[in-house]
Amino acid sequence: MSKIILRLKEQPTVPLEAEVLSPDTFADLSNDEIRSKIVYHGKRQRRVDDFFDVEGERSDDLELHGNLHRVRWIGRGMSRGRITVHGSVGMHLGAYMKGGEIEVHGNASDWIGAEMRRGLIRVHGNGGGQIGAGYRGSLKGMRNGTIIVDGSAGLEVGMRMRRGTIVIGGPAKDFTGLQMKGGTIVLLSGAEIRTGAWMIRGTIISLVPLQILPTFSYACQYTPDFLKVYSRQLQQLGITLPCDPADGAYELYSGDASVPGKGEVLVWNSA
Amino acid sequence: MGGKVTCTLGEVKNRGDFIIYWGGNPAECHPRHFTKYALMPKSKFLPNGRKDRTVVLVDIRPTKSAKAADIFLQVRPGKDFELITILRAMIKDQKISAEAVAETGVTLEQCTDLVARMKKAKFGCVFFGMGLSMTRGKHMNSAALLTLAAEMNAFTKFVAMPMRGHGNVTGADVVMRWQTGYPFGITFNRGYPRYNPGEFSTVDVLVRGDADAAFIIGADPGATMPQPAIDHLARIPTIVLDPHITHTSKLSRVHITTAVAGISAPGTAYRMDEIPLPLKPALKSPYPTDEEVVRRIKESIAKKPFWMPDGAQMIAAQV
Amino acid sequence: MLRITGGKVYDPANGIDGEVRELCVSDGKFVSAVESGRTIDATGMIVFPGGVDVHTHVAGGAINFARAMTPEDHRRTQAFIRSQTRRSGLGGMAPTTFATGYLYAGMGWTTVNEAAVPVLSARHTHEELGDIPIVDKSTLVLMANNEIVLDLLENGEYERAKNIVAWYIWAAKSYGVKAVNPGGVAAWKWGKDAKQLTSSIEGYSKLTPGDIILQLARICDDLGLPHPMHLHCNNLGAPGNISTTLDTLQHLEGHRAHIAHSQYHAYGGDDWDEMRSETAQLAEYFNTHPNITTDAGAVLFGDTVTITADGPWQHLLYKLTGRKWGNLDIENETGCGIVPYTYRPSNLVNAIQWSVGLELLLLIKNPWQVFLSTDHPNGGCFWRYPEIIQLLMCADFRKECLKKLPDKIKQRITLPEIVREYTLYEIATAMSAGPARALGLHQKGNLGVGCDADVVIYEHDDDVARMFGHPRYVIKGGEVVIEEGEIRATPDGREFIIKPHYDPGTEQFLQPLFEDCYTMAFENYPVEMERLENPDIRDCVPNL
Repeated sequence: MSKIILRLKEQPTVPLEAEVLSPDTFADLSNDEIRSKIVYHGKRQRRVDDFFDVEGERSDDLELHGNLHRVRWIGRGMSRGRITVHGSVGMHLGAYMKGGEIEVHGNASDWIGAEMRRGLIRVHGNGGGQIGAGYRGSLKGMRNGTIIVDGSAGLEVGMRMRRGTIVIGGPAKDFTGLQMKGGTIVLLSGAEIRTGAWMIRGTIISLVPLQILPTFSYACQYTPDFLKVYSRQLQQLGITLPCDPADGAYELYSGDASVPGKGEVLVWNSA
Repeated sequence: MGGKVTCTLGEVKNRGDFIIYWGGNPAECHPRHFTKYALMPKSKFLPNGRKDRTVVLVDIRPTKSAKAADIFLQVRPGKDFELITILRAMIKDQKISAEAVAETGVTLEQCTDLVARMKKAKFGCVFFGMGLSMTRGKHMNSAALLTLAAEMNAFTKFVAMPMRGHGNVTGADVVMRWQTGYPFGITFNRGYPRYNPGEFSTVDVLVRGDADAAFIIGADPGATMPQPAIDHLARIPTIVLDPHITHTSKLSRVHITTAVAGISAPGTAYRMDEIPLPLKPALKSPYPTDEEVVRRIKESIAKKPFWMPDGAQMIAAQV
Repeated sequence: MLRITGGKVYDPANGIDGEVRELCVSDGKFVSAVESGRTIDATGMIVFPGGVDVHTHVAGGAINFARAMTPEDHRRTQAFIRSQTRRSGLGGMAPTTFATGYLYAGMGWTTVNEAAVPVLSARHTHEELGDIPIVDKSTLVLMANNEIVLDLLENGEYERAKNIVAWYIWAAKSYGVKAVNPGGVAAWKWGKDAKQLTSSIEGYSKLTPGDIILQLARICDDLGLPHPMHLHCNNLGAPGNISTTLDTLQHLEGHRAHIAHSQYHAYGGDDWDEMRSETAQLAEYFNTHPNITTDAGAVLFGDTVTITADGPWQHLLYKLTGRKWGNLDIENETGCGIVPYTYRPSNLVNAIQWSVGLELLLLIKNPWQVFLSTDHPNGGCFWRYPEIIQLLMCADFRKECLKKLPDKIKQRITLPEIVREYTLYEIATAMSAGPARALGLHQKGNLGVGCDADVVIYEHDDDVARMFGHPRYVIKGGEVVIEEGEIRATPDGREFIIKPHYDPGTEQFLQPLFEDCYTMAFENYPVEMERLENPDIRDCVPNL
């Protein structure tokens, strides 16, 4: 199947809400139909081709080009297919996603994969805050799926997440894993403060030392068996988790006692 | 998780025998608060007034309010969230090491004593100020204190309340909630309200440069917001309605002088505990009220072609 | 002017049961004939008086607190898009004000009674009611935990208490009296509750919940309020509370009263594991006591947010759910608690509650005594009333629903044995004529000449829920507001209020007591008349 290629031709002057940029919407549409789909430029309803040159039709493989940092809701609720972005994207990338893959060669803003259920999002640049989080008031963040951000991340990564995996390559800011209910967050370059605050369950793995909250207590040195399985899965995505006892071990902290919760924070300590 | 357990100020006046101020300085910022509501009043249940109440102040430095308190706890700057989270654990008899507690600037003994007093109180009330809600951690610091107060109800009566300032902020919040379901941080760009603080809150919209016009009533962002937000206000057409010339007026394209609410314009103000108070103007003003100006602008806009195309009256489900 | 011809009219207030009649409207009221104007041909359609909700929570501090607590619901729910003439809004568990008007009118309800208003924030409630379009409104003020009133009752000063209640009603610009968990909310201010009608209340030496109930009922009768005392009994929601409820009813012998959401007050068993329905006993009491009316407070499965002045119950519910909790205690007067909640068919307690609501509606024989309600939003949202109508009208559908409940439920409920099906005439009574009469709103729920021209017209549909959920026309005050699923007009509704008689010396007596326990100026406390957008003062003649 051929691709649908969209190239940004006019930079929006205010945020452009474009949840139509999704394989689910475009898969069965002709080129003309894709061009005529509605996007919201501020409060004005405009057509896709007011902002984008559109090549191709009837495909669930989308390629986007340009500086899309003002374009929000790309891949919202998508369930299949693929979006590849060459450039940076705005907020809510892949929010409510149910399947398929998104790859961004650039940065992405806040709320990447918020409340997603399945699928894979990979951002090669930096990510914003609230990655895989639950929107304000929601009881649950992401239910499953995988989010990988090669660069840094903002506040509240994985807030209230229930299942799934988030990997952050660069440093993350405060409140990583806030009120986490399950799933795994891997921090390759650590995080600032309040990591795992109010955790109920779930696992945060850091490969560099972390500032531990006073309501977490040190349990033991521990390399759980599931890590080996996990590490093999992540290897396929190009991420290496150390788990050979010869290289070192993980220090296990449990908390957050304020809940009281049974979350685990594992900090790698190389031998 | 989440929520808010609170009361009107009269409940504090009548019953509050244990008062905590956290990150606020009411002695200087809310000068009538001690005498009217929280510390001095005598009541049926607290016949000796101040003597029947215990007052705790938690702050990063001893302010003037410290003199009014029985107990002052000096928390290390930026450690409020940690200290509150420790207290949440301690009320549930979770063990916290003395060294971990000491990092907050407060000792384990002080925390143990505070928890014991909180549990012994008949009616506890925590007031929190901008020292808590506007420092690192922001909404999570407030959430921590609200949760602590809610959880204290497993042991005794406990409530929490933000010490709000700046005129009728509470009123705006209350009206937005009944009209849109949300308190602030709302967009109407799709013809119905949507909410996301951080995305649609004024300061974030301005800092990112997401707005191409600004209409400001009864606020002075030019004096209070970060520089990138102020720069953006100066870039775009900004209209200010205010009784006075403000910092924002100076960078706006249009300033319209309006009558002062409560002095020469009537209406309702909501007190920080959401009690509506009638404003009964004492003087006449040569200037129109905010309401009148907004109404006239709205009438003029209504004469222009409507910006939304015809479509469905409603969306059955947004997600 | 408007003529509605050819429809089968159901008008229980005038004993009309499905006869083809012509209705004529002029100046917002029914008249005997009109000479011109639009004619709606309702041939083959069903014509009802507009619905009347006797007990709902749609405006004021408590529901507005609930709105703040549930952005996750606003985000997913129904959205009304603005037009040049119509405001936007959101539906869901705690709808916004404009949407509340659209949703009620959209299913043919044209009058609603906001059942819990603290006097201290009544100004706020009226501001919200002013933003609820289309429907007419009335309100009830919370009195059974007002400490000034309670102190007077403790000291046996009945006359003073009566004057003060009357003063409060007028200060709030309200329509009647609501009693919530008498004494229990006052006790909650010390973290306690009042579960026994004959035990003295925390903070009082001899006053009991039973005393408050009896005295307030007397006060409402003596003041000649058009609606009797509207009572939320003690011990709401607790297993075994049937004894409290029956005890309460016995205290009320000889008085008028309306028992709110009786579903929550008809449980047997000693604990949650043993909980069972006791609707047979409660229905029997209603069947032999025509002086008492009630509304069902039925439960529907799904997400909602519970809001009530019953603070202690809400704290318990918070502990049971571990979800969000809001609480707001109001000086001297009352409190309120808010907890989002999901009723699940797989949960035995919820399944019993679902059954109990329907049992009461079916076992209480006289539809003039038991009315349709979910205690919105507590048992379910008001816009789900058509689902309840379907359950009442179709025994087979009830059987289907019962199959989804846990097996263990069979010995706990009586619903499976009930074969009764409501007729259209009975539905019209329970959703309109009955609640209108109980509220003392004689111009409502009545298609007779001189009454308010509030009409709902349905196209016959075998799917009862769909028929009642999507009326063909809704006419409010003679104006077509809903037509073929579209909102056509959003006129302002009126607010019904009363001015009960009180002794002129009441203010002088009250002011020092007020200044002791309140924190606002006495002269700022009463709501000014000009704060109400369309007030309509109803008669209130004292029984001397």
